[in-house]
Amino acid sequence: MRLLLVEDELEIQTFLQRSLTEAGYQVEAAGDGKTAERLAIESQHDALIVDLGLPDQDGITLILKLRQLGLSTPVLILSARRSVDDRVRGLEQGGDDYLTKPFALAELLARLRNLVKRSSSSTTDGNRLRVLDLELDLLRREASRNGEILNLTPQEFVLLEYLCRNAGRVVTRSMILDQVWGMRIQPDTNVVDVHIYRLRGKVDTAGDRPLIRTLRGVGYVLRDR
Amino acid sequence: MYSGTAKPPVMRSAAWRITLWATLAFAFGAMIVFIFLHQFVAGDIQRRTDAWLAGEAGVLGDVAARTPKGVLYRRIVGEVAELASREVPHKQGANAGLNDSVFFLQTAADGSMGLWVGAGDAGAHLRAIRKSKIMPDTPSDLGVNGFDTPFRVVSVRMANGSHIYLGLSERDEQRVLRNLRLRFILLWLLIVLIGSAIVFYTTLRMLRHIRKITEAASRIGEEDLSTRVPTTSRNDEIAHLALTLNRMLDRIESTIHQMHTITGALAHDIRSPLTAVRAKLEMSLTAAVRDEESESIVSAIEDMDRLTDFLNKSLDVAEARANALRLNRTAIDLNELLRAMIDLYEPSMSEKGLRVKLNTAGSLKVSADAALLHRMIANLFDNELKHLPVSCTIAISLRAVDDAALLVVEDDGPGFDPEISTHIFERRVKGRNSNGHGLGLAFVDAVVRAHGGTVEASNRPSGGALLAITLPLAENVDSVLSPAMALVSE
Repeated sequence: MRLLLVEDELEIQTFLQRSLTEAGYQVEAAGDGKTAERLAIESQHDALIVDLGLPDQDGITLILKLRQLGLSTPVLILSARRSVDDRVRGLEQGGDDYLTKPFALAELLARLRNLVKRSSSSTTDGNRLRVLDLELDLLRREASRNGEILNLTPQEFVLLEYLCRNAGRVVTRSMILDQVWGMRIQPDTNVVDVHIYRLRGKVDTAGDRPLIRTLRGVGYVLRDR
Repeated sequence: MYSGTAKPPVMRSAAWRITLWATLAFAFGAMIVFIFLHQFVAGDIQRRTDAWLAGEAGVLGDVAARTPKGVLYRRIVGEVAELASREVPHKQGANAGLNDSVFFLQTAADGSMGLWVGAGDAGAHLRAIRKSKIMPDTPSDLGVNGFDTPFRVVSVRMANGSHIYLGLSERDEQRVLRNLRLRFILLWLLIVLIGSAIVFYTTLRMLRHIRKITEAASRIGEEDLSTRVPTTSRNDEIAHLALTLNRMLDRIESTIHQMHTITGALAHDIRSPLTAVRAKLEMSLTAAVRDEESESIVSAIEDMDRLTDFLNKSLDVAEARANALRLNRTAIDLNELLRAMIDLYEPSMSEKGLRVKLNTAGSLKVSADAALLHRMIANLFDNELKHLPVSCTIAISLRAVDDAALLVVEDDGPGFDPEISTHIFERRVKGRNSNGHGLGLAFVDAVVRAHGGTVEASNRPSGGALLAITLPLAENVDSVLSPAMALVSE
């Protein structure tokens, strides 16, 4: 996996480069828009990480320019602005994603993995989604484990489906809020944890090997091995 | 059917009122001037008539006194009287030969008919003279049967006790005055009509300019601050108004611009080091071996996240207070949003023994910034979740009131602290038992205001807090572009 990191703050660039390398990515870094443009054209990347506040040009301008040149590489936008402007939202709908600074490294990694769509270990067979002994019938909105039907509410089913589609990958709380509830909020309270807790009570019943794992300070992961 | 707002602007214009009053004042003034003029002309005509009558009567009296009474008397005096009557312009074509607007009458000392020169029947004149007491040498009016207009009559007393009466019809005088009046009224109507049209047109033009300024001013601020109200090259009050408004807008724009620069710089200058610090902490977390070490790092990260949240909300509140929030409005169904939010919070609420009731009348669309609205509602729920004691009930109701969506959130908890309830929306105000940073409700208030809504907080009479939020309904959902559409159309 090759990444192009476009970030002008040297300190953040160094840290991101190091942690992304540790996470198994090959990272090329650029400190301004011009260099980034050259690097993006010269070689293939699996994803771009672009900070919006570049010294020579606006990050959005850079992305739009690259898109015009025919580059379809997914982009993770880093923004120091709180209010996300329309253009970022437009990009987000085109499959790209954005993160506001400061962000959790785990959040960045999780969203990055989500972005490059590294194949999930869940298997789909028509309307069925399978992870180990967990099976979701997407048409009948029913989940079963070891053949036993789980008594889930519609919302819990959507949550479990999201976890299954990302089985083996870390999903953060804000990703869950974003993808399952469609909200970009940061609650002061543990609302997501309670949902996971309830879901876990139904999925990971006594006797079975627990599937939903909590990663402290990061998020959750549905075990796929 | 015709409500005040449905009428076209010209019907509601103040130009009508101004024109009405100006026209009334002008018409009244012109009328008074005319009445004076009329009085003067009428008086002058009468004075001339009287002078002529007195002169002619004197001549006739003289002639009558000198002519010996005999056969020739009647002829001589009669001819002199006829000559006098010829001096008067004679317009009655019907009775050619004799002028019926002048008569000469001499009575004998006993009052019986002496000599008559004039048109028609002398009897009627004589009867009228006898009926009225005409003082000698003083002209007076005399109404005669069979004549529409009175005669101006002057009498001369002769030495032998007989009287000479010379009368002149006031018909001509009245005709002149009637003509004068008719012409004046026609002219008056014309001038009043033209005058009011001119006044109406000029005030309408002036007011139209003011309306343009108003329209432009109302657009400014809602969308962008860079447009200005139209100005004119004239140097009058309206031009001054436009210039003053524009100068005020310049100041506001520069203030807002400064605010954006400051908050933008704050956001950037604080966020970048925060990002770096957070990254460092996370790196050391992966390197930490012992549990106690990672424990303190995790707690430092959590503190940092709280700091970030505080920073975000502070900036939002500050910007919203200064009306500088950038809103990306889309049509949002509040009913749907509330249901999703309740769905999200319900498990946490029931964990804590809280119940939530929702009472809505169905879909209600508001035009709002989705991210801000989501955070605002989440704030309300967080607030309830954090501050309510166990086994309380939260009742949420949503309905349309006039042109606004009314969202009421009430609970049966302890309510707002009476000490702080008057400053509930100020920054950093929080109850004694609160552990938040006190920005929650200030943020709610700021977001709602930025969208043109209102928030009211009170304690219910039966105990518990009540928050009533109104948000203007989306007027025309179709006209609200989705962000994706906005991107395409750029």
